[in-house]
Amino acid sequence: MYDDFANPWTIRLKWAYLLAVVFALLMPVFYTIGISFNLHGFGARIYEFTFDWYRVVLGDTLLVISLKWTLYLAVATIAATIPMALLSAKFYKRTRRKVAFVALMLSPLFVPADIMGSSLLVFFKNLAKGFAWLGQSLGVGWFDSWFDLGFLTAVIGQIIYTHPYAFIVILITMSRYRVQQTEAARACGANAWQAFWHVEFPQIRVGVFSSCAFVTILSFNEAVRTALLKGGFDTFSNMLVAQMLNIGMSGESYAMAGIMSIVSMIVIGTVIVYTLVRAERLERRARAMAEPVMSG
Amino acid sequence: MTEPAAKAVEVVELGKNYGPVTALKSVSFSIESGRYYALLGPSGGGKTTLLRLIGGFLRPSAGRIFLHGHDVSHLPPNRRPTSMVFQNYALFPHMTVERNVAYGLKLLRVPASDIRDRVDRMLAMVGLVGYNRRMPHELSGGQQQRVQLARSLVLERDILLLDEPLASLDAKLRKDMCLELKRIQEKVGITFIHVTHNQEEALTVADRIAIIADGELVEEGSARDVYETPNKRFTAEFIGDNNVLEGTVSDVSATGATLDIGFAKIEVPAPAASISTGERAAFSIRSELLRIAGRDEDIGASWQVVPARYVEDVYLGLTVSHLVQLPDGTEVVARVMSDSGDNGRFEPGDDVAVGWPANRARLHVA
Repeated sequence: MYDDFANPWTIRLKWAYLLAVVFALLMPVFYTIGISFNLHGFGARIYEFTFDWYRVVLGDTLLVISLKWTLYLAVATIAATIPMALLSAKFYKRTRRKVAFVALMLSPLFVPADIMGSSLLVFFKNLAKGFAWLGQSLGVGWFDSWFDLGFLTAVIGQIIYTHPYAFIVILITMSRYRVQQTEAARACGANAWQAFWHVEFPQIRVGVFSSCAFVTILSFNEAVRTALLKGGFDTFSNMLVAQMLNIGMSGESYAMAGIMSIVSMIVIGTVIVYTLVRAERLERRARAMAEPVMSG
Repeated sequence: MTEPAAKAVEVVELGKNYGPVTALKSVSFSIESGRYYALLGPSGGGKTTLLRLIGGFLRPSAGRIFLHGHDVSHLPPNRRPTSMVFQNYALFPHMTVERNVAYGLKLLRVPASDIRDRVDRMLAMVGLVGYNRRMPHELSGGQQQRVQLARSLVLERDILLLDEPLASLDAKLRKDMCLELKRIQEKVGITFIHVTHNQEEALTVADRIAIIADGELVEEGSARDVYETPNKRFTAEFIGDNNVLEGTVSDVSATGATLDIGFAKIEVPAPAASISTGERAAFSIRSELLRIAGRDEDIGASWQVVPARYVEDVYLGLTVSHLVQLPDGTEVVARVMSDSGDNGRFEPGDDVAVGWPANRARLHVA
């Protein structure tokens, strides 16, 4: 909190420190992006700007297919995770056992990615066997392919991974929401869904959209769980990691990393800019309309 | 012969538990249609729980709620003939005043032109003409409560529930809004149920008052009866500025009882409840009925008089409170108007007599 007696240089120093930390954290990312636009790749003495590596990536059918799979995965994960996170956040506001509930919701974060991925792998393998046995016992083949490794298992893995993040983001926005407004809507004749859609959702929309963006980025960035659970398709991250492990970092790899970084930054940047612009617009409108308000 | 007024609300043995905690214990009462009814009591007494049960925001643990004769105990708020004004934070912050007021009408699919007319009419009624395009955060606390009131009244429901609607307003605004609420209720003629912990607010607005404390309905009656002739000791201690003295019933007659308070025997009119000799009891007398005089002065023929010692006076603006000590050490307060000639007659330590009209004391057995 600032006060009139605070030394302005203390504040400036704090900002400088903060920016330096952020800069240091993002430096490797910008460096990678920089290399991805260099015709001569990593370690070259000459820097010649080019889009060639990106053309190669986008011209590679396997990579484009993997990009599509990643997108499908992101969309399916969003479709499942966001409503779940929303319900979890709403439940959190109602439950009296808040600490236990939050601990439960965040518990997937405390399990390392490879452990979670391999555990799910074993679980799905056994589940698939169980379903196959059930099908055999019932004399039907309908259960045979359930929980075979594939898109569904990869999505479930992603949901478990992204749900805690989406839950937290929505919960932060929801914490400012007053439940009296829902009750007021109900008192006006709205049913539970109408009260949510007309009154609550517009006020937590920013949080919901932010968590959509977040889940998209996490889906693009996640490699370990997906690698273990995906079955017969490859995601963009899987391709990138595989390429790095098998043939090392090529110009193409830098371009792939660049695509992921740029997409992430654009998504996050859009959310931030939208939020700031919206806040500014609301404030401007409030200022414009704030003629002297009569007391009483 | 006059028809008995229809019951807008009837609550039968209504109870609410939160796990092991009992918020409301088997409360029964009814409210006639078109009344302004106040639920008054200390914080945490169960009055808001009772209101929320009537509104359908809570599910009863026991008992039934009838609104205009229909059992609504199992119905959600949107299917009850009630609307509600909340203490605060209840306007939809992303909607203008107009959209807030129109919200319920839109849900009812009222034609747009009718909505505009009804919203304008309602804003005029609550004194907010021209505020249609304002956002809630551009309004003062009082204006926000008026918008809430308009949003509820525009629905033309039969029963309006008000949950401490003036609690977040300053004293002056609260007083103005009390009169405003009373005026509006008289104009629209529907049943208002108003929860408050402020006795002045309840006395100003209500035709009838129910005292709710510890999850129970302590007493119910007209505002005047509850203030002037409280039956229960709790009511006497909660409403107005009553002096309560304890003693033992020493004699019971057809017209009253005699209470032995140690240094005097006090005649008190008999209460409705039966009492017997030897029983512990208390009586209350409002501070504005007490008169202080010199020991040798004659206060009045039908007055009950006891000796006392003058302690001090406290100026309260409209009134002055005079504190006197009875022989057993109990302190009682006599309140007189500030401009009365009775002020300033005594010094601390003076021997005085304190008296009250014998027929105005109230005996409380429980």
